[in-house]
Amino acid sequence: MIVWKEMARAKVRFGLLIGAIALLVFLILFQQALRDGLITSFTGAIEHQTAPVLVYSTDGRRNLQSSSITPELAAQVRAVDGAAAVGRIGQSTLSVRAGGSITAAAVIGYERRDLGAPQDLVAGRYPAAEGEGVANETDASEGFGLGKVVRIAPGGYPIRIVGQSRDTNLQASPTVFVRYGSWEQAVLAANPDARKPLPNALGLRPAAGVSPDELVARVNRLNPELEALTRHDAATKAPGVAQVSRSFLVIFLLYGLVVPLVIGLFFLIVTLQKARTLTLLRAIGARSRTLVWALIVQVLVVVGLGIAIGTLLYLPVSFLRVGSIPLQFDTTAVVGWGLGILALGVASSWFSARRVLRIEPAEALSGGGLGA
Amino acid sequence: MTKDGAPALRMDSVRKVYPTGDEEVVALDHATLTIDHEEIVALVGPSGSGKTTLCSIAGGILSPTAGTVVVAGADITGYSARRLTDFRREHVGFVFQTVNLVPFLTARENLLVVDEIGRRTGAPARKRADQLLEELGLAGRGRHLPATLSGGQRQRVAIGRALMNDPDLVLFDEPTSALDTQLGEQVMELIRDEMNSRGIAAVVVTHDERMTHYADRTVHITDGVLEGSPPR
Ligand SMILES: Nc1ncnc2c1ncn2[C@@H]1O[C@H](COP(=O)(O)OP(=O)(O)OP(=O)(O)O)[C@@H](O)[C@H]1O
Ligand SMILES: [Mg+2]
Repeated sequence: MIVWKEMARAKVRFGLLIGAIALLVFLILFQQALRDGLITSFTGAIEHQTAPVLVYSTDGRRNLQSSSITPELAAQVRAVDGAAAVGRIGQSTLSVRAGGSITAAAVIGYERRDLGAPQDLVAGRYPAAEGEGVANETDASEGFGLGKVVRIAPGGYPIRIVGQSRDTNLQASPTVFVRYGSWEQAVLAANPDARKPLPNALGLRPAAGVSPDELVARVNRLNPELEALTRHDAATKAPGVAQVSRSFLVIFLLYGLVVPLVIGLFFLIVTLQKARTLTLLRAIGARSRTLVWALIVQVLVVVGLGIAIGTLLYLPVSFLRVGSIPLQFDTTAVVGWGLGILALGVASSWFSARRVLRIEPAEALSGGGLGA
Repeated sequence: MTKDGAPALRMDSVRKVYPTGDEEVVALDHATLTIDHEEIVALVGPSGSGKTTLCSIAGGILSPTAGTVVVAGADITGYSARRLTDFRREHVGFVFQTVNLVPFLTARENLLVVDEIGRRTGAPARKRADQLLEELGLAGRGRHLPATLSGGQRQRVAIGRALMNDPDLVLFDEPTSALDTQLGEQVMELIRDEMNSRGIAAVVVTHDERMTHYADRTVHITDGVLEGSPPR
């Protein structure tokens, strides 16, 4: 009761703290979504394609477009023990006329659907013939909608969008997955003088009993000019991704400092200000444990409300796009951050709890009390 | 109230020494005092004579340096801090010299807080609080915060709070010092009536000799030494 009454009679004070926590929660969730959206829009095509193992040329530095697999290297990979299947993957960023304007789009060609195509479709079907493609669903607004025909700008090679996938963008550009032959034709259409393009990477499927990690190790032992990566590593260790992750980590660490500081200081001030009351309660027989528990309940309530309001603020924003980056309401992130912030809040009230535990009931006699 | 008719308070050769820096202050020396149940004792003495110290030892807020303290038949001398806390909550009522009320709780809630810090009883406690407020002439003031009450009303709320746990002994530390003479006498009368009607023993600290006629007996204290007057 006393916990609620105190908060009810100091609405502005506690309201301000709840508001501050809500704002911090909102910012954290927003930036988490931004980070996830950013990374997904840069490497979603790799994370969500079908090949469990990707092999790049080392000089491509884990960048699909800069990597190039010569026939000699390809032959070595095909001969490796433990690979059940090998498929070529090509990728180019091409100017594409879509929906009346020209945009730079990533065109990805895969030789086998199980080695480089999107893992799932949310609409339509996989390409069944040359000149058909799968685009990311969010690119529909840029003219890559289901049933639309986009054209490689020089040369006019047409691709009809027959399927839609989710979270499969590359380099934050509209991304189209096509059959390998279509990709070769698109590249040649854009650049008629060029030779037939080399594949940028190879997709590998490990044989039964061989783990992707093992296969990666075997390929990497073949030739220093080859770099094999598991699907997940290829996505998270792509150039830029690590830097983005690290930048956001710094931001999150700052929040990890600010959140407990705000909560901890607030409750420390409140505790100091009501030292006389706490002393009185101790003198009339309240156990210190009772008072500490009341403090913790108050922290949980205030922080819990802050998290709830922050999440509600974030909810409508999570349906928006920041530039080309679609945000998402990530329940795991909300729950994770919520629990983390609750824990930080309780931990930060440690100083206040220590104050409470140190109160001497005898101070009530002199009218003294901590800090009073 | 008290166990087997034991006295409400028995202090035997109680000594209290405060260590202050390298010197020691003897606040109480060889204090021996017995208060019967249902007895009201006025404790009179100049400032710094040890009145508050005596009350806090009698109420289990402080532990004596030497001597024994038995409250309502329970020898609390060797109690741990934790047991003393529980003992205060269950058996003793306090009206302190200075801070007495929780500023953010209403008059009624200040009474109910006693229930909340102990084993909650809920409805019976609410009934008791309303009854006490009524008796103390605060029936219409239950929803008032302390800041909106007069000094006399605040003191009466504190008295109600002290009676909430149905104590064996109530300790009033200068309950009238902040009030003018007329109000002070009203409060003293109230204390006497409440104690007598409930049969609760009390120590009432005052340095105003005029207030002592509300007590059954007056005990004087000077420099930590008690000097009793015979019971009336
Ligand atoms: N916590 C303490 N530390 C050191 N000395 C103390 C402490 N509390 C009280 N004293 C000293 O003990 C003596 C008795 O103090 P006490 O508070 O019991 O007096 P009192 O009779 O209640 O005085 P007053 O009428 O002013 O309230 C005083 O000399 C006081 O300075
Ligand atoms: Mg005093």
